[in-house]
Amino acid sequence: MKIILSLILIILPLSIATAHHILGRPTYSLNEDSNTPPSMQVETHIGRYLIKYIVFPAFPLPNEPGKINLYVTNINTSQPFTGQITFKVRDNSWFTSNEEKLGIQLPDDNVFRQGFVLSKTGNYIITAIFEADGEPYIIDFTLQIGRLPAIGPIGITVAIIVLILLGVSTIQRKKLQNTKIRNARIDS
Amino acid sequence: MITVHPGLPIIWGIIVGITILLISIWAIWKPISTYTTDSYYSLLKLPIIGKLIHQITIIPWLLLVIKVIVVALFLLVIAAGLFGTPIADRNIATILTWNIWWSGLIIAVFFLGSAWCAICPWDTLATWLVHRRLWKRSDPYNSLNLPVPKQFRNVLPALLLFIILTWLELGVGVTVSPYATALLSLLMIILATISLAIFERKAFCRYFCPVGRTIGFYAQLAPIELRPIDSNICMECNSLECYHGNATVDGCPTNLVMGRLTQNTYCTNCGNCTRSCPTQNIAWRLRLPSTEAIQTARPHWDEAWFMLGLMALTAFHGLTMMAFWETWMGELTSFIGGSGLWSFSIGLIVSLLLPLLPYILALSLIKYFTNSELSIKQLFSQFAFIAIPLAFAYHLAHNLNHLIRESVGASSVFMNPFGTGTLPLSLIENQAKHTEMLLPAELLFFLQTSLLIFGFLIAVYVIRQRGRALLTSNPWQLSPMVLFALLITGYHLLLLMEPMVMRVSGVCLPFSI
Repeated sequence: MKIILSLILIILPLSIATAHHILGRPTYSLNEDSNTPPSMQVETHIGRYLIKYIVFPAFPLPNEPGKINLYVTNINTSQPFTGQITFKVRDNSWFTSNEEKLGIQLPDDNVFRQGFVLSKTGNYIITAIFEADGEPYIIDFTLQIGRLPAIGPIGITVAIIVLILLGVSTIQRKKLQNTKIRNARIDS
Repeated sequence: MITVHPGLPIIWGIIVGITILLISIWAIWKPISTYTTDSYYSLLKLPIIGKLIHQITIIPWLLLVIKVIVVALFLLVIAAGLFGTPIADRNIATILTWNIWWSGLIIAVFFLGSAWCAICPWDTLATWLVHRRLWKRSDPYNSLNLPVPKQFRNVLPALLLFIILTWLELGVGVTVSPYATALLSLLMIILATISLAIFERKAFCRYFCPVGRTIGFYAQLAPIELRPIDSNICMECNSLECYHGNATVDGCPTNLVMGRLTQNTYCTNCGNCTRSCPTQNIAWRLRLPSTEAIQTARPHWDEAWFMLGLMALTAFHGLTMMAFWETWMGELTSFIGGSGLWSFSIGLIVSLLLPLLPYILALSLIKYFTNSELSIKQLFSQFAFIAIPLAFAYHLAHNLNHLIRESVGASSVFMNPFGTGTLPLSLIENQAKHTEMLLPAELLFFLQTSLLIFGFLIAVYVIRQRGRALLTSNPWQLSPMVLFALLITGYHLLLLMEPMVMRVSGVCLPFSI
């Protein structure tokens, strides 16, 4: 009896641990409009404002709709900012400045909501621009679209090293052969 | 995400200011006397540690064990960077590379000289791949063994790579990207392997490696050196195993002959000389710190550029972390257009060139005061040694700030190197991370103050001794160079006193709305 009970106690947690639901819903059905999507959050302060930037989902896939929620609160008064915010996006590649305007948003329940769909994998910069107390505020946030390739860089490194080593080996083998032939001729 | 570190309080700034002014007055007032550098203490004499250190240099597998551990950590960095979480604070790639290694490396030079080169994973991996031996003498046919082209037989390629590394680090933001950190690590393996496969000996270590050359020059200040125990034995040696190697051990990877070695700059501490020397005549010893920079290191044109470049780049690191730098860059970007990287690149170039103007002006004034027949080029090489203590002192003071303020809790990444399933640091956690310190703030300020004074004092010694050997024993004639050192130290002090704006990577959080 003790053995059976022990076995049940061992097996029981394993079966519980296999559940994959959040609030009764399977995770694969979560999207940017769901109530509990995984998200990316950045908090910062600039001038007199505390900024909270949240992206849904955390790492959107190419051509997948995503959403930015921006909270802007005055540090001194704790009052939310009520003006309008312009959202822009640019590719975070070296020396490029291809910037596109995503939209201009007014607060909706104290949140500035901006949707987006980006087609290419990579790192992007989201810029939020607003004006408060006669001063311009420009804040950049990073946004990663898709998963950056991991095997590619390893493959390239291995390929370069193998090519170099093979090249050196071939050249040295020829040199060695020539030396042997030359020595054989001298000896004969 | 931005966090601000407080700068050095004004009282510490005043202490530095008064002390360096007093040193300056002493430097141009007191007649210059001879500087003696012949006090040494062999580490072999130390009871247990001495023998242990000697064994590490003699027994190849002991060093190999350390190399294997370092290579394993390096490969872990690459794997974590490519496959782990993109959250920099949770990934071992960024924490180990930038917070621990890059900050701690310069501090290690202060005690161990260029010992890092002996266990460098870039060179170890390249050696294993090309030579296909763990430690024994390599087959000469595994490499083309070509001589490095004459125009590259200097440290200017290393300086160029160091500028590129700084550009990647601060401009592109490699430090806050585990992925980019892994790519940079892979690139360094490729460069080291290509160099070893094509060129003779270890050309990458000698001419191209920006990290190796940086710590090599800083090692001129280190209180430790690998030298002959009895120089008479080296004088009578004709076989030069330290240079050529023997049947089982490779020769010196950077073309050094132990009997004639006067400076640490190019020694990689690989231990080949200690293992190949038939009389076991090479060992570690302690010496007066900075003797090489003050007196014994020989001036070279390319090295002078590297030393001055190093000084400009270390200050540039600090400059980019100032709040006003962001404002300048923002204004420049809005003026010239394009991405911020253009304005950053312009800022980098200007910062590199800026110290040259007062330096050349100081040299011209010294030449005028002393009526010297030496050319500006000769003086440029000779006095460039003052850049090493000035750069090193600021570099160390700056890195101490990083290490002491940012390393608390860093060990947690070793438990989960890939950061799998980790949550990001919240604003409060981030602030807590940056306010909890490894050492008390007052101790940090004391160390930073002491370092700036130490750097200035050594720079003054360099000016007086090198000036005396070349030009004059009249100290006031060297006052323009003392003023230059004062200007640079003042600039470094201002950078340390300003609050330091830290760029922290974006944080991710499963969040409910």
